[in-house]
Amino acid sequence: MSFSVSLRDVTLKYGDTDALSDVTLTLEGGKIHGLLGRNGAGKTTLLSLLAAFRKPTDGEVLVDGRPVWENIDVVSQVALIREGGDFDDTETVKATIETGQLRPSFDLEYARKLAERFELPLKKKVNQLSRGKRSVLAAICGLAARAELTMFDEVHLGMDAPTRDAFYKELLAEYMDRPHTVILSTHLIDEVANYLEGVVIVDKGRILRHDDVEAFQGTGATLTGPADAVDAVTAGLEVLAEQRLGGTKSATVAERLDAERRERAAAAGIEIGPVGLQDLFIHLTDPARKETRG
Amino acid sequence: MSSASLATRRYRLGTELFTASAKYFAGWILTVIIAAAVVPLIISQYRSVDISAWAIAANVGKYLIAIIAGGYVHTLLPITVANGVTRREFAAAMGVFGLLWSLFLGAIAIAGFLGERALYGALDWTQAIQHEGDDEVAVRSFGDALDFAAIYPLAYLLYFTAGVLIGAAICRSDSGWLILIPVIPVTLAVDDAMTSAGPWGPGWLVRFLTGATDGWSLWFSVTVALVVIAVGAWGARRLIIDSPIRAKQA
Amino acid sequence: MFDDGTPIYRQIADQIKAEILNGSLEPGGKVMSTNQYASFFQINPATAQKAFRELVDEGVLYKQRGVGMFVADDARDRLAGEFRARFFDDVLKPLIHEARQAGISLTDIIDYLKTQEGALK
Repeated sequence: MSFSVSLRDVTLKYGDTDALSDVTLTLEGGKIHGLLGRNGAGKTTLLSLLAAFRKPTDGEVLVDGRPVWENIDVVSQVALIREGGDFDDTETVKATIETGQLRPSFDLEYARKLAERFELPLKKKVNQLSRGKRSVLAAICGLAARAELTMFDEVHLGMDAPTRDAFYKELLAEYMDRPHTVILSTHLIDEVANYLEGVVIVDKGRILRHDDVEAFQGTGATLTGPADAVDAVTAGLEVLAEQRLGGTKSATVAERLDAERRERAAAAGIEIGPVGLQDLFIHLTDPARKETRG
Repeated sequence: MSSASLATRRYRLGTELFTASAKYFAGWILTVIIAAAVVPLIISQYRSVDISAWAIAANVGKYLIAIIAGGYVHTLLPITVANGVTRREFAAAMGVFGLLWSLFLGAIAIAGFLGERALYGALDWTQAIQHEGDDEVAVRSFGDALDFAAIYPLAYLLYFTAGVLIGAAICRSDSGWLILIPVIPVTLAVDDAMTSAGPWGPGWLVRFLTGATDGWSLWFSVTVALVVIAVGAWGARRLIIDSPIRAKQA
Repeated sequence: MFDDGTPIYRQIADQIKAEILNGSLEPGGKVMSTNQYASFFQINPATAQKAFRELVDEGVLYKQRGVGMFVADDARDRLAGEFRARFFDDVLKPLIHEARQAGISLTDIIDYLKTQEGALK
């Protein structure tokens, strides 16, 4: 019974500014979704709505098809792990982990096992932990919650690369062991791209794109070659970024190149390269980007 | 797992808050109890003891209870909501905790006054609550002590409610601290009405606020206190169940 | 492990095909499960599943309910056939195009291929 997620015409204002404006989004249950966006794009706001941390100014937030706000049956199975965790800093690590037992689904044994594996000092106070260990504690609490919807908001911050790697590994293992819905919000897109099934890009309080990860990986292309030829081949396509060096031009397009264009490109001596999700994301959310979408 | 454990979770959380707090503050409470006996003993070496040390401790306790209650709401609301608890459950848990906590500390206050009566009686000191010019209002028997102290559990609950209300208002809105303006005078006035309606008026409280309550009988004052607590609790609950969990400061 | 241009499921599918072609996966042999694949390569199991589905659709693999995925008996022949069909368009054509740009004549290429055939025999 993994939880699906849906927002209908959701707006959230902080004072006069729209943190999210008129967002409609549905995420299927039982999948790992990536939530990408620049700082201040509205990622945290979106997750806060799904965890009933906040109430929308307008619109409807449904989790598992039910309104999430103050819904005990839903929120007891929804976990939002925010960067740095929501802890009482004067508590010990051990007591903090045990607080997780407020959820009936919390698995204390699993939490203890993870704490040992990630070398968390149980007797230390939370405010004595390094930033990395603090993030680990947050991540462990999220995994052990065994919720039906688990959201990690930039939880990797402060973790070193091996720890991040171990966390993603554990997350994947937990996910395969017990299918549930996961939303990963992150800047380190390339690190998580392979773990994702769906990708949502948020920009300026709106959903910029939402698709399967393959759709993103298959679409973009970088064309490099004689400037005139590149212009001719990319005519009519959405060009995300251009770069010029002498007579050579490199253009990044967001769409899949059809066979005809590929052939023309090859004939004109244009090299076609792939665009990674990270690059695609950077281009799509570039504030200087020409607005070409309808 | 079971929905039964979810249904009773709020009460469990309330009692757990109580036991954890009692444990956490046990050292402080013990220190105050010892100090309230030792300080007059030291003073008695230099001059005669003519004031109830415990009355001071028990009164300062009121403000500490309010501060602790407000602090709890402020720190624990985000943590409990992050652990999948609804605001309604948290509000109920704070209610359970407040009742137990006020009764517990109120019982200690009463026991303290009785104990102090025994100590002061044995050493022939004056267990005075206040001095007004040459008049002194003092506890002179165990019956007096009980009379004076009996109101403490309710007074503590009153201050607890005030603290929760202030903490909840601050969680609810950035300008929530403005609620201090009505809450502080009302709380002080009702507390003062309850004590001065008996023979024990602590005149050092802001008298000008409380002129209106001078004619109140004890039972009328207690009824007013109960109504104020109920309204305060209702208001605090309303604020809590509507509070956003804010973005964390980086 | 994976390049970031093509969808990963296609890269996995291609890799399995390559293993069948070079003989490291025998016809009738069992393939790793979706979850084994996912944890081995650290990818989303749905991605691995997509690769398998594509291979089942192409008749390269077949599924035995509750048991697992197996290499079809005719998989290698079929893949070799497909490869032969694609060879001239996908491999030779761009090669010749590049050779021309470099000024290598068709005769040079043919001569070279002939010597290679001798060397391989």
